Amino acid sequence: MKVGLFIPCYINAVYPQVGVASFKLLKSLGVDVDYPLDQTCCGQPMANAGFENESVELAKRFDRLFEQYDYIVGPSASCVVFVRDHYGNLLAKESHRCASEEKIYDICEFIHDVVKPTSLKASFPHKVSIQNSCHGVRLMHLSSPSELNIPYYNKLRDLLSLVKDIEVVEPERPDECCGFGGMFAVEEHAVSGQMGRDKVQRHIDTGAEYIVGADSSCLMHQNGIISRDKLPIKTIHIVEVLAAGL
Amino acid sequence: MSSREDILQNIRRNTRVRYEKPDLSTLEKEAITYADPVAQFCKTVGEVGGHVVEVKPGEDVNVLIHNLYPDAKRIASNLKEITCATFHPDDVASSAELDGTDLAVVRGRVGVCENGAVWIEQDVEQRAVYFISEALILLLDRKNLVNNMHEAYQEIDTGEYGYGVFISGPSKTADIEQALVLGAHGARELTVLLF
Amino acid sequence: MSTKHSKAAEKFQENRELAAWHDQTLWMMRAKRDKMSREVPEWEHLRDMASAIKMYSNSHLDQLLQEFEKNAQANGAHVYWAKDADEYCSIIYNILHGHNVHHFIKSKSMLAEECGLNEFLMQKGIDVVESDLGERILQLMHKKPSHIVVPAIHIKKEEIGELFVKEMGTEPGNNDQTYLTHAARKNLRHKFIEAEAAMTGANFAVASTGEFVVCTNEGNADMGTSQPKLQIAAFGLEKIVPDREALGVFTRLLARSGTGQPITTYTSHYRKPRKGGELHIIIVDNGRSNILADQEHVKTLNCLRCGACMNTCPVYRRSGGYSYTYFIPGPIGINLGMLKAPLHYYDNVSACSLCYSCQNVCPAKVDLADQIYRWRQKLDGLGVASSSKRVMSGGMKVLMEHPGLFNFALGHASWVNSFPRVMVYNGMNDWGKEHDMPQFAKESFNDMWKKGKVK
Repeated sequence: MKVGLFIPCYINAVYPQVGVASFKLLKSLGVDVDYPLDQTCCGQPMANAGFENESVELAKRFDRLFEQYDYIVGPSASCVVFVRDHYGNLLAKESHRCASEEKIYDICEFIHDVVKPTSLKASFPHKVSIQNSCHGVRLMHLSSPSELNIPYYNKLRDLLSLVKDIEVVEPERPDECCGFGGMFAVEEHAVSGQMGRDKVQRHIDTGAEYIVGADSSCLMHQNGIISRDKLPIKTIHIVEVLAAGL
Repeated sequence: MSSREDILQNIRRNTRVRYEKPDLSTLEKEAITYADPVAQFCKTVGEVGGHVVEVKPGEDVNVLIHNLYPDAKRIASNLKEITCATFHPDDVASSAELDGTDLAVVRGRVGVCENGAVWIEQDVEQRAVYFISEALILLLDRKNLVNNMHEAYQEIDTGEYGYGVFISGPSKTADIEQALVLGAHGARELTVLLF
Repeated sequence: MSTKHSKAAEKFQENRELAAWHDQTLWMMRAKRDKMSREVPEWEHLRDMASAIKMYSNSHLDQLLQEFEKNAQANGAHVYWAKDADEYCSIIYNILHGHNVHHFIKSKSMLAEECGLNEFLMQKGIDVVESDLGERILQLMHKKPSHIVVPAIHIKKEEIGELFVKEMGTEPGNNDQTYLTHAARKNLRHKFIEAEAAMTGANFAVASTGEFVVCTNEGNADMGTSQPKLQIAAFGLEKIVPDREALGVFTRLLARSGTGQPITTYTSHYRKPRKGGELHIIIVDNGRSNILADQEHVKTLNCLRCGACMNTCPVYRRSGGYSYTYFIPGPIGINLGMLKAPLHYYDNVSACSLCYSCQNVCPAKVDLADQIYRWRQKLDGLGVASSSKRVMSGGMKVLMEHPGLFNFALGHASWVNSFPRVMVYNGMNDWGKEHDMPQFAKESFNDMWKKGKVK
């Protein structure tokens, strides 16, 4: 089982430690993981802004780059699900069969559903509040969406429960959007900013020290709010928690 | 060409895939049921702002109504057994005369446990009586309780007058700042007498 | 980078207190909806069936509408077909004029809003009175609804109190909701009684029986139609359902989804005219039959107009109904506006973070967010895409298609500083209004990997 690590552009640029933690975590679980060089962006920002066609070349590159791997695993639910849900359609226009969509996983999903560890070495003696991201919840099914009448589950919580000394909570309105939404955050900045402030406040209200999530984009947005408003909470990517001490 | 033909032609031209009519029988079979329908019905009617009074065997319904609404002066009913009624709703010259009715007592045909709704099949000419009175009493036989709307629609009809209504609790609105207020236009109070 | 929606939303957010109240109040409706849906174990199956019935009925409109017409006529109703808003308004006017109607009482109808009925009739000298409390408040204030189910949600009780002092002679300063509601009850009671004709929309029209169903909480539809002997009902042609069995599905979903009630207080079934009266039914197209041909957006015709997508939409709750340029706001309004006239209503397409919550609450499973995503792809072709977003996307494309350039950008301090500028371009200031900029790492993951630092 050969896994190609997918590092989205903003993790590459802003949160490389999330990439490092992802690699370490997968390796510690005995996964044969490699990082194909020259990755850039999955194309989601352009597509969500209405310029899907700008993403076609990127989709082709991406598909080629990960050709040789059995699995593609990335630490960003939103980017991963963009590949999964849209690449087939984007590449159909190019009469190119997309191979990525069936083998790409968010790292939490991959560890939870494929690797299925029963224990982790990590210890994280802090209270954390889960950031259930929209695309993680509603497109990738990492947890039961609050709107649906289905039994509760949460793959992030399941994984975090393997970490020693941690306390895990979820905020009120557990999966309301934090307001990032790519270029939405710029175009609709007033609403986006308010959504972000509301979200961060609900995380703070749980008494947590950290907001922990599987999408760095949501965390980046909330971090910008925290820093601007000097709020008493920090953000951390879930793989950094799961890989704590490695 | 008439608009009717225009519209129908446009529909035919634009209809792409024709989807099959779904079979609802599985849903209807698995739809919610209640072990104690009377208890559930009482609970739901309460939740929608009304209340249910279970009539004991042999109890005088007119005494009961008087005890429930001692101040009601103008009482409308088309039901023979409601001797406390002061007039028959069809004895008025126009529906406007029904304004100022304190209480109307009418028959409910089916009660729905999942939502507290009671089906009324129009059985008087002045159907305004169901809405215009300050308080409404619905007489309902507990044998006519059904679990859910799927079952209810098997039982109901609109009858000779061609009108029927499910009423679930008193009239209400939350149009001012989402504050719930009973008695928007219809009855302010609703009581189901369950026989 | 802004749209009419984003500008109006920014203005809405200026009154922080009101905006927070608006968000919280509509969220309560969403929370009630969640609670109600959880009391029905077969909820998700119900939604599936509601969607399937709508897919069936909207793909058999020709047959079902004719079946409805035949049955309604057999019941003694007059049936009309209106191609567009003008024809709809004229038919109604002609009926009213032919019966010498001067006082006309109306129950809430979004179709009437869509077609501008009130303005049309008022110009012709007919006194139209809205009987739904929220609609009546708005009518007296000369304002439009900001939500399709709770139309006056944006108005504070103090404003209503002031209005009622003037219009209904209430005590100045008494802004108690119960007091004001009962004042309107008394005031409108006279309007019901003096009306010579009453009109409603319809939530459902049943092909197999020729009846139509109207759902209200106040009882205003029934108060109206049980006074005068002349009754008019009009509905958009997608309101058709095959039979009463289908009503069993929809009546379980509608109020639970919309207001979080197990059913509306009144679910009225009108099948025949009153004794000695007349019943006129108008089937309205106004663009709907064109939507049938658009496979990407045909599911908008599944919509029950319950308002659940507005209540759950984090953008709607924080921007208010008036921030949208189409008369129906929120996720369904974004899509319906684009279907109506994309060049008029494209400003609303920005009002979505693609969180997909709307799709999950929709009782008839309209793929609202997917459709908004598709509309965004079409804006450039319509010539109305945001130029700065195009430049940003184009810039990103160039950067991202050239890993050398991307790596160079990541690896050089001077470029690192300009990287966000490329990413967010002239929108950077707008990001900066709400947040601090993300801090770029000294070393990118690519660099770390190449240097063997990832172990």
